[in-house]
Amino acid sequence: MATERDDDDILTGPVPDPEDEATPAERAHAKTFAELVDKTLAGRTPAAMSADDRALLEVATVIRAASGNAELAAAKQRTLVEGALRQALGGKAVPSGEVTPITKARAPRAPWIVAGASLAVAAAAIVLWFAAPRRIHVVDHVVDHVVDHVIDHAPEALRDNWKSRPADPLIGPIARDHAGDASARLDTIFADRLDGYRELQLRGGH
Amino acid sequence: MKLITFTVVVALVACAACTDKTAKSDKSEPGTGSSVTHTAEPSDAIDEKLMVALSQAKNFHHKAKIYMSDGDTAAAIASVREILSLRFPPNAPEADDVRNDARALLARLLVGQGQLDEAMNVVKEGLGSSRESFFTANLFTVEGEIHEARAQVLDKSDVAADKAKATEERHAAIESFDASNKIDKKLQDQLLERR
Repeated sequence: MATERDDDDILTGPVPDPEDEATPAERAHAKTFAELVDKTLAGRTPAAMSADDRALLEVATVIRAASGNAELAAAKQRTLVEGALRQALGGKAVPSGEVTPITKARAPRAPWIVAGASLAVAAAAIVLWFAAPRRIHVVDHVVDHVVDHVIDHAPEALRDNWKSRPADPLIGPIARDHAGDASARLDTIFADRLDGYRELQLRGGH
Repeated sequence: MKLITFTVVVALVACAACTDKTAKSDKSEPGTGSSVTHTAEPSDAIDEKLMVALSQAKNFHHKAKIYMSDGDTAAAIASVREILSLRFPPNAPEADDVRNDARALLARLLVGQGQLDEAMNVVKEGLGSSRESFFTANLFTVEGEIHEARAQVLDKSDVAADKAKATEERHAAIESFDASNKIDKKLQDQLLERR
């Protein structure tokens, strides 16, 4: 069969122009392949076929499965699920047709799995129990040191112009002639404090 | 089966003990605050409340200036009075300074309206509750001006006793100006020392 089609290799041969009329050979090939697909869908896949046909058939199968219309037979589904679960429980994959019920496969192993997991948890808990106080002590020490440092240096970190403070240095003595110029003085104070406030905010607050 | 039960129980007991220990270590010691990672904002930092209060005071001053330019002294007085009721952050030194400067202006406006006693009350209120500053010095200056104004009123009287009171007011004015100068000098010396 493959020998007959060597001269008509549709996968590796030259690609015809899309506008070209289909040749009789192409039509015949298409009809043959369509029958092959029909047989495959009906569960009567031929035992022998060319490599090109097999590749095309796989693509057709994938396309059909992706469209959501393909469903495995109930027996096949059960076989696959049982096999997957059996592998997940540590067993060997079961060849098709030799399905072992999952309950039967799991029964002798389940107690040991539970026991092993529990032992592992207990061991981890005991390790943590003895290791935790030492780690907590170290972390406490580091945190204390950092907090002390922050508390000690926080007042120095706040620059004078970021603080709420008397306006005397900014305004100076108020001459009698300017005793009523409160508005102008407040403008000066506001501008100064706004500078400090902006710097403090741009710094990320304190 | 007994082995399984034993291991599960051991695991549960150990986990419960670990959880309890972690929970205890998370709890703060009494009096150490709720969190060690949160640094409290310094109370003397310039904050939004201060900026809002200063901004409001600024606006009331500008309103007062407009009213004064329009000759509406009563409205100007009302606007300046609003500054005295503004809420500043607690213990903000700017609050005293801004209020005392507003009091000085308010007293002068009241003097212009002939309300000398009310003007004196406004000044005394500021002098009675503030630290020494250039603004309190300014208040003493305004106080002196009020004494002078009173003296001038008394001078116009035909009553002999009022002449004596006028003299007292002038002496009081001198004392007020002296107090103002004294504060100014003290603060200037302090500022020079810091430099």
